Amino acid sequence: MDTYKVRQLRLAALLFMAALVLVSLWLNNYLLAAAGLVTGLLFLLVVRSGAGPAVDERELTIREKAAASTYAIYAGTIGLSAVLLLLMAGRGFVFLEALGLVFAYLTLFLLALYAVSYQFFAHRYGGGDEE
Amino acid sequence: MKNRLKVYRAMHDLTQEQLAEKLKVSRQTVIAIESNKYLPSLPLAFRIAALFGVKIEDVFSEGDQKEGRP
Repeated sequence: MDTYKVRQLRLAALLFMAALVLVSLWLNNYLLAAAGLVTGLLFLLVVRSGAGPAVDERELTIREKAAASTYAIYAGTIGLSAVLLLLMAGRGFVFLEALGLVFAYLTLFLLALYAVSYQFFAHRYGGGDEE
Repeated sequence: MKNRLKVYRAMHDLTQEQLAEKLKVSRQTVIAIESNKYLPSLPLAFRIAALFGVKIEDVFSEGDQKEGRP
């Protein structure tokens, strides 16, 4: 990924967080606004803009591993939460069923997205049987 | 893997910053390779060997030191 793409992705992430903060302030949800602000600042501080060399393979390796860890933790947490919420909904906490369903669909979407990405990159990096 | 990058860098009287510039990587990457925390890719290993005018196996060799790649 070149410097231009990194800057675009960084800008997109920051715009999303800025929009989230504005919407949460409009909804008087100050906790979400604070969380968005702190996450935005952390993102700005930690994730580099690619001001150094255009392509640095160690930086790319770090990004790959960070993305893989983020996916694993996020999908695992959301999936486990979905199961727990749906189980609780079955024991009388009916209002939690909707949230559990959203989490469950989100987990399925993440898994499907992973499968499609895996297939795409396997094909790209020569996963076929041809010699 | 273990490497002699630091030795070759000293032989050619290069600073980490200068070597990083020649290899088109960051100084942190040079530091990580020298301290065996990161194992470079094959293209980068070739670039390092070519820069010093030696074979890859002169710079990198098998060993039991820790590495940054699986």
